[in-house]
Amino acid sequence: MAYSEKVIDHYENPRNVGSMDKNDPSVATGMVGAPACGDVMRLQLKISKDGIIEDAKFKTYGCGSAIASSSLVTEWVKGKSIEEAGKIKNTAIAEELALPPVKIHCSILAEDAIKAAIEDYKSKQG
Amino acid sequence: MNYFQLFDIEVSFDVDLNHLSQTYQTLQKTVHPDRFAHASSQDQLLAVQKSAEINDAYQTLKQPLKRAEHILTLRGAEMPNEQQSFSDTSFLMQQMELREMLAEVKFADDIEAAFEHAQQTLTQEYQQLLDVMHKQLFENNTAANALACDNLRKLKFYQKLNIEVDRLEDSLFDD
Repeated sequence: MAYSEKVIDHYENPRNVGSMDKNDPSVATGMVGAPACGDVMRLQLKISKDGIIEDAKFKTYGCGSAIASSSLVTEWVKGKSIEEAGKIKNTAIAEELALPPVKIHCSILAEDAIKAAIEDYKSKQG
Repeated sequence: MNYFQLFDIEVSFDVDLNHLSQTYQTLQKTVHPDRFAHASSQDQLLAVQKSAEINDAYQTLKQPLKRAEHILTLRGAEMPNEQQSFSDTSFLMQQMELREMLAEVKFADDIEAAFEHAQQTLTQEYQQLLDVMHKQLFENNTAANALACDNLRKLKFYQKLNIEVDRLEDSLFDD
């Protein structure tokens, strides 16, 4: 299967790979996995007091599309409020990366990672 | 389609793999193309279809995770959609650590020892989880089946890790 140029670019030069301290109250951690392919994705967001995402890091074990989807998401969420980030849809990710139908679940995983991170942040804030 | 019925064995996670393989051979002989060389094209087609079905059944019953999934489907347990994301955070954190452990093997001072340790850790955790699911499948009630579904999904992550281990072994020790 041929990957699109954008997928290859993110795969070869992933943006914002890394980790943050998950115990830091301003860090939101979203962990998601896809049993079908065994992919595991961790998305971490550093959120300012007024709810703006200042930084984003990811670590993904999975195929090229999963890595590209999470890499793209870290670029997209930076500077957004958590409300805006929560509205990012997998269809937009899939479209940007020109994912084929069999790889749509990678974009769903990335969307779910954002949601999981926001949920984690909200539970931390109480 | 009940594959256990096709192989004339009871629905159970415990299967005798030797017996399974023998039954497979016997069943395949009954639909071998040679037997249908002079049959009508419709019968030939049916034989081919039956052969494919026997093949699917064998592949399903032979492999523990596929067998478990088949049992749970037969029991009408609610299997979550394969594409649905899994969000058991502590389990996934642990999976992440296991993948990091694998990724670090090649940087170890003693690569062979590090690889063996990683392989053992994974085998042990997989087996423990498989044993738990085995007991839950044996209990066979709604609550136990739901727990078995959950563990089956977790086991699939280990299955993927095992593929990675094989790949790593090839890349490290292939000469």
